[in-house]
Amino acid sequence: MSNGLKLVLFLAEILTLGSAVLVALHPNVLYASVALLFAFLGVAVMFVYAGADFIAGAQVIVYVGGVTILILFAIMLTQWLYKLNLREIPGKILLPILVVGVAVVPALYKVIRELTAFIEKAPPTDLEKFSSLPKTSVIGQALLTNYVLPFEAITILLLGALVGAVWLARPTK
Amino acid sequence: MNSANFANSLQGWVGIGPIWVWALVSALAVIFLLALPFGGFATYVERKIAADMQDRVGPNRVGPYGILQFIADAVKMLGKEDFIPLGCDKFLYNLAPVLVVMGACAAFAALPLSKLLMGADLNIGIFFLLSSTTLIAPGILLGSWSTANKWSLLGGLRAAAQIVSYEIPVALSILPVILISGTLQIGRMVELQGWSWAAEGANSGHFWNAFHNPFTFVAMILLFIGGLAETNRIPFDLPESESELVSGFNTEFSGMRFGLYALAEFADVFVMCAMVVALYLGGWQLPFINLENLWVTLPSGLIAIIQLSMFLGKTFFLVFVVMWLRWTLPRLRVDQLMGLCWKGLVPLALINIVGTAAWMWIFKGQSIAQLVYKMAAR
Amino acid sequence: MNILNWATGLHGYLFVGAAMFVLGLIGILSRKNAIGILLGIELILNAAGINFVAFSKYRTASIDGQMVALFIILIAAAEAAVALAIILRLYRLRETIDAAEANLMRN
Repeated sequence: MSNGLKLVLFLAEILTLGSAVLVALHPNVLYASVALLFAFLGVAVMFVYAGADFIAGAQVIVYVGGVTILILFAIMLTQWLYKLNLREIPGKILLPILVVGVAVVPALYKVIRELTAFIEKAPPTDLEKFSSLPKTSVIGQALLTNYVLPFEAITILLLGALVGAVWLARPTK
Repeated sequence: MNSANFANSLQGWVGIGPIWVWALVSALAVIFLLALPFGGFATYVERKIAADMQDRVGPNRVGPYGILQFIADAVKMLGKEDFIPLGCDKFLYNLAPVLVVMGACAAFAALPLSKLLMGADLNIGIFFLLSSTTLIAPGILLGSWSTANKWSLLGGLRAAAQIVSYEIPVALSILPVILISGTLQIGRMVELQGWSWAAEGANSGHFWNAFHNPFTFVAMILLFIGGLAETNRIPFDLPESESELVSGFNTEFSGMRFGLYALAEFADVFVMCAMVVALYLGGWQLPFINLENLWVTLPSGLIAIIQLSMFLGKTFFLVFVVMWLRWTLPRLRVDQLMGLCWKGLVPLALINIVGTAAWMWIFKGQSIAQLVYKMAAR
Repeated sequence: MNILNWATGLHGYLFVGAAMFVLGLIGILSRKNAIGILLGIELILNAAGINFVAFSKYRTASIDGQMVALFIILIAAAEAAVALAIILRLYRLRETIDAAEANLMRN
């Protein structure tokens, strides 16, 4: 990869991280969900650079076109629309940061260091070939051979979720 | 053009120079050479067609036949006061039009204008088109909320619900084409739609997908209807319905922000029509003639120009149909809109997929044209 | 250019994934609003997706990690739809979406 391409990926990572910070910490939920939209887009760019173009497309269609819209809808349907009590108390955030910082971050740090050291000892040989391989047909074939059971399970899950969501949100009599 | 994924196609497409400069240049070229002129010109054409249908003259003051009207409009919009209504959410108010324009313009990069002239023939081409236009719905919804106007918000909620619902029949009626061509790459899909009497049998493509089998013809109509609804055009213009919601989601937008919304709407109409053309009406292919395989060899520049004008001609015809419908059909009610989507378009689209799959299995993937050719040859 | 190389390799992906996971966890723990909690869950699911895609390229150079990422995306969509339906229901019943107020099952 040339440095220009790397720079684009770097900017996408910064966009993702910055948006994620806003999602977690912004006191206004509406702004947090707008930031979530940009985090999704940044993650999609990262997927493209990891050779997962089809997953990136699915990410944008499902998350930006589906989940974000649903969340915005839910916010606008459940809150008094303006001057809404979307805001959170800012002081409450210190305790979770402390707990997560002490309990999770060191473990993650150790795992990442060991994993990257382990992987960089023996990197896969056909990395370049994998990046330039068209993934769509490979994914399609995998879905109908090795992954046919999860694929079928997912279809049942989606049908169940669809029916369940409609039933839950039905108008009350 | 072999494009394995985004990064590689960008690299191969640029060649020399820092890649981000070229990416920026091409993005600006797409916006200033395609999206902006088309969006502007379409406003003029729309007014002229509306005038013709209502037996009026229409814009006729600026330039010959009023053809420069859209430039005058743009200058007027730029010169207007930058008015931000009191109580609106400034950040979202500024962000929303940008999101909408981003979504509409990004799609232009993957349109197959001709065999050689194509922004990027991505491996996931049609998927990219669908995903880039999804940015429009959040843009409209956020914009309508940010203006603190309840009519706007109603329009925005309607727009979002409508776009999300109609994405399903649109995606489902694209599937038959994917089934036929076995790829998501738009360039390859268009290539497979070439067909000529002179060429030999099965390996010369299968004519336009709309006439591949009866089901695909219905699928094309469904795609067009779904596209109309996704771009909020009459008879599906509930988000803007001016008789009940003032002007819907863009009521409080003035000046260039309103201009951006209008531009994005027309650019979106163009993208939708171009999608129908590329998927079902043969893209840049001439009917019955294969330009690269004639008795005389044409210069490649001429071929490119013919293909480009073929593609634009077909697309503009569909755009004309869109504008024609505007002055022909009344607006639907909300319940009719949702009923049409879930009870009409979605089941029909599912039948189309199954029917196309059955056709592919029974006739071993041959189109009607190929079958006729075989019978005639026998 | 060193930081650029570091950030665009496996390290960068894992760092972003871990940071998103941590931020999502903080979001879930600190918010009272049910939709805010859902935002945190989405962040965590995305972080998992990043990790799977990164390992798919840098560890195995095969399609398997991407398949899991695809399933994660689908499950996240189903989960978001059901969660939002529940939130709408909660709002109809209690006129609030404060997660701490949904305590009908307590005692």
